[in-house]
Amino acid sequence: MTSKKPRILFIQNLVIQFTLRGRVLTAIRDISLDLYKGESLAIVGESGSGKSVLMKSIMGLLDKNGSIKQGRIIYQAQDLGQFTTEQEWLRVRGKEIAMVTQDPMTSLNPLKTIGKQIEECVVLHQGLKGKEAYEETLKLLKDVGIHDVKKRYKQYPHEFSGGMRQRIVIAIAIACKPNILICDEPTTALDVTIQAQILQLLKNLQHKYGLTIVYITHDLGVVAKVADRIAVMYAGDVIEVGETHEIFFNSKHPYTWALISSLPQLGSKGEQLYSIKGTPPNLFQEIKGDAFAPRNQYALKIDFLERPPFFQVSDTHYARTWLLDPLAPKVEPPAALQAFFAEGRQYASD
Amino acid sequence: MLQYIGKRLLQSVLTLFIIITIVFSLLRLMPEEGYLGAAADKMSPAQQEIYLTNLGLREPLLVQLGNFCMNLFQGDLGKSVTYRTDVPVTTIIAGKVTYSLLFGLGAVALSLIVGVPLGIMMAYRKGRWLDRLGTGYIVFVVAVPAAVYYLVIQMYITDLFQLPMLFDEYRPITWILPLTSMALAPTASYAMWMRRYMVDELNKDYIKLARAKGVKERTLMFKHVLRNAFIPMAQYLPATILFTITGSIYIESLYSIPGMGGLLVDAIQRQDNTVVQGLVLVFSSLGIIGLILGDIAMALVDPRIKLGKGGGVR
Ligand SMILES: Nc1ncnc2c1ncn2[C@@H]1O[C@H](COP(=O)(O)OP(=O)(O)OP(=O)(O)O)[C@@H](O)[C@H]1O
Ligand SMILES: [Mg+2]
Repeated sequence: MTSKKPRILFIQNLVIQFTLRGRVLTAIRDISLDLYKGESLAIVGESGSGKSVLMKSIMGLLDKNGSIKQGRIIYQAQDLGQFTTEQEWLRVRGKEIAMVTQDPMTSLNPLKTIGKQIEECVVLHQGLKGKEAYEETLKLLKDVGIHDVKKRYKQYPHEFSGGMRQRIVIAIAIACKPNILICDEPTTALDVTIQAQILQLLKNLQHKYGLTIVYITHDLGVVAKVADRIAVMYAGDVIEVGETHEIFFNSKHPYTWALISSLPQLGSKGEQLYSIKGTPPNLFQEIKGDAFAPRNQYALKIDFLERPPFFQVSDTHYARTWLLDPLAPKVEPPAALQAFFAEGRQYASD
Repeated sequence: MLQYIGKRLLQSVLTLFIIITIVFSLLRLMPEEGYLGAAADKMSPAQQEIYLTNLGLREPLLVQLGNFCMNLFQGDLGKSVTYRTDVPVTTIIAGKVTYSLLFGLGAVALSLIVGVPLGIMMAYRKGRWLDRLGTGYIVFVVAVPAAVYYLVIQMYITDLFQLPMLFDEYRPITWILPLTSMALAPTASYAMWMRRYMVDELNKDYIKLARAKGVKERTLMFKHVLRNAFIPMAQYLPATILFTITGSIYIESLYSIPGMGGLLVDAIQRQDNTVVQGLVLVFSSLGIIGLILGDIAMALVDPRIKLGKGGGVR
């Protein structure tokens, strides 16, 4: 169903490396990923898996010591990966693809009124001036659920609470009337009730403006609420991608199993919460085979030797694990997870 | 705002009073000959005693302090003892202040004009050759004692360009070297601060967001970073300006500039207690004024400082 939508952006065989004191770190290892118009895609994965790097590369905001070594990022028939000048990026950045950053407390310029900060974007990308720009700014403030906008326009960031500031950051992002909105951990810094409000706001705005949204998060709970599709990242690679219910209730990759098993909802009372043993691989070294293999209790011999291809599970669901190979022994997910899967599927079919 | 300024002023008056008390007490600890001056040898002990009593030095200390403050309040800093006997200290200082002000302000202007843009460019081109060159300069100025390069400049540069060694009010060319020497250190600190504050700002999240908004790197630098980096500068600028004015002691005596610095050295050498006392007061008041001005400047530019109740709260 989602796949019927046209692709708005796609990434092919992307490799991104950083040079750090003469050593080379591969942060993104041969990723291919599609983004469909109007969907919300969640990218999940533990810290350091490369979620932010992937998104920064789409906006040309990689740190100076990093670069795209291979692959393409295609948006509107142009390869963003080939952009070299600031001028080229400025045509896309903010205007076509905008970003909501993680920490609303520090994301706004403390010395400019929030009105001016939003207006800067309106002027820059919509070409409005003076009174028109002002009116548009007020409208944006209303759009993100801020009351008493004329007064608020003149206030400074420190006069707003965290949730309010995140609304303003969102207003800045949509001020540019972008096609794609990237939200890097948009609610991590907020408490739970505010979190829900912000997610709801993003959903409403998505409807209103026809946005395509990418959520980056390591909170599967957030994902479940907002995402149409999920891409699971591990050590710079997308290892499983599918519609939300497919990832939650029919995932195939042991790493995805481990992620879902560590959901607090799955633990039973009094039992220790499940956590994944071991540590992610060293990205400075070349990774052979499946990067998750050393931590994977179901790992096969071949997992250590050769990188698994994407096996297709359904039209929309793919996973990189040798377990899906026809020759692989039949392996079932852990019992607790199976119960969860069954429950979910039943819920879905009701 | 007014309330805030009033409060800061009150604090400063208190600080000044503490300084007065300290200066006053220190001078009372000095040998009393300081008050007798050259006449000391010609007086019998009895005469000396009468002289000192007339000066009020036999009163209880607290009364002396009170009198001192009262006189001060009326603009009377006492009379010089040895430097220019019986001339009021205020007259002596007034004659010298102009030179110090001229040199101090000149040096500050010079170092601002060079230092601030240098710092900005260093931050803008961080890690490139200009940044390295600037850093080298800063390290040099900080590491080498001022006396050393002051002397080197005076000895060799005058030689090199055939400039006169000493200051002569009526020959503008003699202003150059003392001014440049004085400007060297503040130039380095302005450049260093500016660079540091800008780099600090550049690493902040709001810059990342502004970049993601699609703001041009240049616009970003000048509209967001520069302005924000100026806030800590605004706070310290007035203080450094005044410290530069007062801190010219060494240069003034090197080039024989008839300013306050030279006066202080002379007065100390000649044990002229009242002149020393007056100068210390002038210097410390200038310092305090600088600090107040800095705080007010900061309050004016930073909306996060809530004025009024509670004073300056971030
Ligand atoms: N400028 C850089 N220089 C060197 N390594 C970098 C740089 N930026 C990112 N990396 C490395 O790239 C890897 C991926 O980082 P990234 O920030 O994308 O992780 P993430 O998935 O967003 O994690 P988190 O959930 O903590 O935000 C990490 O190992 C990180 O150390
Ligand atoms: Mg991140």
